[in-house]
Amino acid sequence: MAKHLYLSLIPEALIASMLEPEAFGSYYAVGMQAHVRGEAMFFELDPDYRSDEFPFGLVDERLVIQPNGAPKRSLYLSIHQVLSRIPVAALGHLYLVTTDGRTLELQRSEYTPEPRPRLHLYQEFCPITPMVVSKLDPHDFSRAMTDPANPIHVPRIVFSELHLGELATDPLRGAAHDLPYSNIAHLRDVLVEMQGNETKAAKLVLKQVKEGVLYRMVQGGFYVGDQTDFAFYRFPSRDELENEHRGWWRSAQVMSLE
Amino acid sequence: MNEPVFWIAPIAALLALAFALVFYRGMVAQDEGTPKMIEIGDHVRRGAMAYLRQQYKVMGIAFAGLAVVFAILAWGLNAQSDWLPFTFLAGGLFSALAGFFGMQTATRASTRTAAAARTSLPNALKVAFRSGAVMGLVVVGLGLGNIVLWFALANALIPEGNDGEGVRMVLITTTVLTFGVGASLQAMFARVGGGIFTKAADVGADLVGKVESGIPEDDPRNPAVIADNVGDNVGDVAGMGADLFESYVGAILAASALGAAAFVAEPALQIKAVVAPMAIAGLGILLSIAGVYLVSTKEGATQKDLLASLSRGVNVSSALIVVAVAGLLWLLDVPNVWGMWGAVVAGLVTGIVVGRATEYSTSASYRPTQLIANQAEGGPATLVIAGVGVGMLSTSVPVLAVSAGTMLSFLFASGFDLSQMNLGLYGVAIAAVGMLSTLGITLASDAYGPIADNAGGNAEMSGLGSEVRARTDALDSLGNTTAATGKGFAIGSAALTALALIASYLEVIRIELVRTGETVLELDHGATITTAEATLNDFIDYFNVNLLNPAVLVGVLLGAMVAFTFSGLTVQAVGRAAILMVEEVRRQFREDPGILQGKSQPDYERCVAISTVGAQREMILPAVLSVATPVVVGLLLGVAGVIGLLMGGLSAGFALAIFLSNSGGAWDNAKKYIEEGHHGGKNSRAHRAAVIGDTVGDPFKDTSGPSLNILIKLMSIVSIVMAGVTVSYGLL
Repeated sequence: MAKHLYLSLIPEALIASMLEPEAFGSYYAVGMQAHVRGEAMFFELDPDYRSDEFPFGLVDERLVIQPNGAPKRSLYLSIHQVLSRIPVAALGHLYLVTTDGRTLELQRSEYTPEPRPRLHLYQEFCPITPMVVSKLDPHDFSRAMTDPANPIHVPRIVFSELHLGELATDPLRGAAHDLPYSNIAHLRDVLVEMQGNETKAAKLVLKQVKEGVLYRMVQGGFYVGDQTDFAFYRFPSRDELENEHRGWWRSAQVMSLE
Repeated sequence: MNEPVFWIAPIAALLALAFALVFYRGMVAQDEGTPKMIEIGDHVRRGAMAYLRQQYKVMGIAFAGLAVVFAILAWGLNAQSDWLPFTFLAGGLFSALAGFFGMQTATRASTRTAAAARTSLPNALKVAFRSGAVMGLVVVGLGLGNIVLWFALANALIPEGNDGEGVRMVLITTTVLTFGVGASLQAMFARVGGGIFTKAADVGADLVGKVESGIPEDDPRNPAVIADNVGDNVGDVAGMGADLFESYVGAILAASALGAAAFVAEPALQIKAVVAPMAIAGLGILLSIAGVYLVSTKEGATQKDLLASLSRGVNVSSALIVVAVAGLLWLLDVPNVWGMWGAVVAGLVTGIVVGRATEYSTSASYRPTQLIANQAEGGPATLVIAGVGVGMLSTSVPVLAVSAGTMLSFLFASGFDLSQMNLGLYGVAIAAVGMLSTLGITLASDAYGPIADNAGGNAEMSGLGSEVRARTDALDSLGNTTAATGKGFAIGSAALTALALIASYLEVIRIELVRTGETVLELDHGATITTAEATLNDFIDYFNVNLLNPAVLVGVLLGAMVAFTFSGLTVQAVGRAAILMVEEVRRQFREDPGILQGKSQPDYERCVAISTVGAQREMILPAVLSVATPVVVGLLLGVAGVIGLLMGGLSAGFALAIFLSNSGGAWDNAKKYIEEGHHGGKNSRAHRAAVIGDTVGDPFKDTSGPSLNILIKLMSIVSIVMAGVTVSYGLL
């Protein structure tokens, strides 16, 4: 039985498992007995990836078929500062898991920079989870946020871009009525400030997005990057989601009142 | 029967049943789809039948007990008509039969509609609408057929007494009127029980499925999903059918009774007035059948096209009935032909205005619902406040329309002479008949809704392609519009029918006074008049029916109180039944993790059983309240108190029913409007508020609001059948 390595972003952890990605996603979101629930996001790692940073020896020792014949579902290898210790090159497909355990696989795609600058809204997932506004495109934003010269930086970052609608071009007067973000007035203020600011790379809008992953608003896709590497995972179009991934898409739009 | 146009009624009733059979066979002959679709359809049908079995069991006990009570009152204490035990059982039986046939059809039709949607939209619409027409035609066929049958039987068996043919006809029509009590009590079981079932299942499925476990709507992993689908049928097919069956027979019977009373001294004209409502209903059936054939569409039709095709059938039937009734009344040569025709038209127009007003208040295409959606940005509190406000404001147009319809029909029929009470009230009853004359096709539009809704659920659960779901979604969306107007129509017709029943109450009192030997009435100013010849004004004088009489005033207050108490009980009942469902769904998820992973099938039947038992238990108290109140008030406050009770119940119940139905409908559509992408769309703060508003509104619009229709009619009809007890044993 194949052994897999998964880098979980929500919550951050390195997990070895005998489950295939879809089954792992379902297990990870829904649980078996403990009934843990919640959406998840994880990369599958190159199965041959090894590093002294993690106790990979445990994989051979403990990731074995259970006495009842069932595969070992999870073996946690680390739960702290995991992303920062795994290079982008080791990352395989990205998996997005809904609260009820449906999994969508995203593959690496070719990234094409945007022709001219505009305002962007980014939702970060790992290692921190704020929502920020920037004039930088995803590639440059990734570089800026991981730049050691910047007093506020992280070693590596995973994020997605969110739709801004008319606010992307006209933050002061653009219609924002149908955007789902909380405190639109504050978002407007931040966008206006960033529009006139030539030096700042990004400005915080929200410390934490309590609504989880705003799949409906994802523009382009998901990004992971650092100072040297950058990877783009294209998110399917609305039509593709409706027609080819309908089960996942319907689950992804179910809201929680909690 | 010497009046030839009478035969329109039995012929039309038979034709209605024949065409219902034709449409049913046509539907059954359609392809049922894939094995998965058939399996899901079977789950829903088994669940619906399990619910009906349990409901009929409870009903059987209640009907048997009440039939024994009526038999003792009739044959033991001589306080009732001897016919009552039989008419009561027949009314209940045939209303239940209509619900049974409707459910059998609807649960089979949804699978076939989904299957037809795989090929084309016109096919799917045809299957769904003609299946809805089965319910519509069965209701009017059984309703009118029974009226005609009992009328013929009573006409043959009730002998002419010393008071002449005129009084005999009043006795016949008031005797047949008791047929309504069985239909009314059955409607109470169907509407309240169905309403509690459907919302307990819906709220339970949503709270655990969507909110706790993140499962989307109509997902087969949700154990309550089948109960939710079953609920659509028991609430909107069986419940709505029984509600309108009661209104239909109540309006025709009350109109006949009031017609007999209005012309008691002129038997030649009297029989025309008695026959006219039945013949109008018969014409309505024929035109409804014709209207069904006008409903069709083309592939790729927009929502507007679909609504236009459905409206074509209803509108053409309504327009033709206006012309046909003029001809009928002229042929029948009733007195004041054009006044009576004006009353029918007033009823029809009232129905249309109430339906449109409901659509305006609840549709996301109009300002009130958009305003609620806008207020959602402020959170659940502002959204709830906005919904309550919209619901309250929405009462104005329907109340004004029914008031105008009542006044105009009274004036038209009485020749603009307010002192002609009998003729005027006959006009009000005829207006109710006019409004309900095309029930065959209007009910088809209502019953179409849950069929299309279930077809969408079946397509979703069966994993059919996106083009099929697009077609079922279009049909479902159309069903939501017809459901809103259907509710408005049901409430409006209930109000007019209740008015007609209240008016006929005094006629029954007359019969009971004569039967118990009180043949002379002593009026306030010392004059005396024979009971048989007394006018309605004389009765009002005799029983002191005016607002300064404390018995009337107390009755009015009690009537208003009953409407609110009844609503409170039904709203709370949904909450309690929903909690049972929530616990069951949680238990299944907890004990079998494979359900959520899609590896094992949930126990759907257990959820259906829980909702069924919960609904049956919870409907007992509201049913007892609505049956016992008029009896107790009659015993304590007499005839004047009962009239006050009925007026108070009608006024408060009518307005409250509109408020509850429209606020609930508006919250529901505000949520859908937001889900289309407005105000942040799904998962936004506004959406969260809208989901809360929709959940609050669920028992309002689908349980308490529609059940109030039954309350106001049931209290009237119970008062009518217990008139003998009130006359014999009333303290005041």
